[in-house]
Amino acid sequence: MKELRDLARQLLADGTVDVVVGWEDSPRGARPIFATTPDDAGKLIFDTRCLHNLATYLNPRRKQVTDLGKLALVIKGCDAKAVAGLLREAQLDRDRVVLIGVRCGGVCEDSMAPEPVALTPETVAPRCFGCDNREPHLVDHLVGDPRPEPPAPLLTLDERVAALDALTPEQRWEYWTAQFDKCVRCYACRQVCPMCVCERCVADKSRPQWIETASHPRGNLSWNVTRALHLAGRCVGCGECERFCPAGIPLATLNRKLQQVVEQRYDYRVADDPEVTAPIGDFRLDDQQEFIK
Amino acid sequence: MSEALFLSNDALRDLVAGLVAAGTAVIGPAPAGGPSIPGLEERQPPTAKGIYGALEYREVRDADELALGPGMPRLSLKQFFLPQSETLFSWKQRGADVEIRETPIAFNPRVVLGAKPCDAAALEIVDGVMDWEYRDELWNGRREATTIFALACAVEDDHCFCPSVGAAPDTVKGADGLLTPITGGFLVQATTAKGEAFLAANRARFAAPPAGGADEARAYREAALARIGENAQIDAARVRDWIEHHFEDPFWATLGVRCNGCGACTMVCPTCHCFDIVDEEEGVGCGTRRRCWDTCQAGKFTLHASGHNPRADQIARYRQRINHKFAVYPLKFGEVLCTGCGRCVRTCQMGQNIGEILVAIDEYAQRTGESGDASAATGPAAGAAP
Repeated sequence: MKELRDLARQLLADGTVDVVVGWEDSPRGARPIFATTPDDAGKLIFDTRCLHNLATYLNPRRKQVTDLGKLALVIKGCDAKAVAGLLREAQLDRDRVVLIGVRCGGVCEDSMAPEPVALTPETVAPRCFGCDNREPHLVDHLVGDPRPEPPAPLLTLDERVAALDALTPEQRWEYWTAQFDKCVRCYACRQVCPMCVCERCVADKSRPQWIETASHPRGNLSWNVTRALHLAGRCVGCGECERFCPAGIPLATLNRKLQQVVEQRYDYRVADDPEVTAPIGDFRLDDQQEFIK
Repeated sequence: MSEALFLSNDALRDLVAGLVAAGTAVIGPAPAGGPSIPGLEERQPPTAKGIYGALEYREVRDADELALGPGMPRLSLKQFFLPQSETLFSWKQRGADVEIRETPIAFNPRVVLGAKPCDAAALEIVDGVMDWEYRDELWNGRREATTIFALACAVEDDHCFCPSVGAAPDTVKGADGLLTPITGGFLVQATTAKGEAFLAANRARFAAPPAGGADEARAYREAALARIGENAQIDAARVRDWIEHHFEDPFWATLGVRCNGCGACTMVCPTCHCFDIVDEEEGVGCGTRRRCWDTCQAGKFTLHASGHNPRADQIARYRQRINHKFAVYPLKFGEVLCTGCGRCVRTCQMGQNIGEILVAIDEYAQRTGESGDASAATGPAAGAAP
């Protein structure tokens, strides 16, 4: 912690950055802090509750953040995939941000716990299972001691997907229809997504109205399916959409399924290297294209 | 307030069964349902969000489904008066002939048993705008068809702040009566003519209170009042005055910076009532006009046809949320548009905390003086934002 706070103080003091975005403790668990003074820097923390993907604040749509000046951003290894995604899609100028990487031993599912949560199969975030980025790449500074590997979760995302894949199409349809039925169409999933960078989302277009805004089954299905498909091969798997969903829709399971499909068809896994091209921005002669008849 | 009666747990079962048999819908807090993946039910990890979100208001068929104890339903009661999406009318057009099918505005009787007092109070506050220059037939029709018994609250957690906004854990505002838990059941009191009529119509279910029942109920309510006294407290009038005169204050920039604009706070809020009206075509020459919940936290909410947006960023949108609730609505309708339920605090995954923000505004207003002279003050640094 001291290493992180000292570094933030130094970056602020020597004018390298105007603000350091990291995590702080609050009356309701860990949350983002925009530190602009040495005092603020003293509030920075990193523990198992720091599961927010702060790369979402690099999103060019967030004028209130771009207005603050030059940023330093504290990221975990998984968050680096989102930064790489923004760089890959030309949404971010790498010189605009100083990246402070923290070595991570996994996070829990509850950012709002009053104190750091010990990681057990019950508490660990499923996305931490098999993590290959516990030491972030792409960063300007790396802090923290190496941490042990997190325990396996009670139920992995792949197991959830497999259980759904084992159902008949009718059962799957019933499951997802019932899930989407809960949707209140707040678009929290889109707002928090670090990869939802569109200046104007298709859901907000009204001439024509591609996606009905009413939360009836038709509108809910078209929004949720469109959101998922627009993130195929782009979703970094941070699970923030699911965490923010006030209706409790298991969006991370849906996203994981699409990751698997993209991996099988295009041999692509979400990378934290912006030089690796993603299928959405790449064409290869040996791409599977049997759907073009 | 009517004389207190006793509703035993057994009588509650009979009451609900009788109401359901007679065609009256019974709504109350109940464990949240939802589909699970077949075969994995046993291995689902416990919910990380604790007691919050474990309940929902829904129509029940049986009193055993009700959860009349602690726990804050994820969404408020407003969905039963202003649904997330509802049909206003449908149309069919053939040449010059237009056929309009209106939505019925008569509603079957309903009873809410165990509303959170803050959720019932919210309905009365929103009545102000729904029966203002235009009388909203759907809202008022549902209000009239519904009898509400609130359940005296024992205070959920540190994020409740109802006394600061004119309510209390045992407020009966917006309700027709109050249930207070006592040994073996509930002490029941009606507080409106509608509530009294309900008790009279179901008199057989209610008994005289047991000895000591009234004292037990009083002790329960006093304990809740003492508990809520430990939570955040603000002077709503001072906050209102400060907001009214400081629309451009730099302090706002510190309050909204971490907000994502996801709007989840407005969806779970019992008093947020903004809606969007959409025409959805459903074939050639026919369609449906619906109204759906909307949120002031979305950029599109104020986007003009010209492309100009008077609320250009999230700072302006967050200010709008606070401004509307704690200054505009009180000035127009005489009541704060908030019941202190704390749902927005429990829901916000980025840690925007309205209780903390109101305290910060209140303290800032005191520091800058009652006159509200912003030039005398130095705004706190961004990082010091609550």
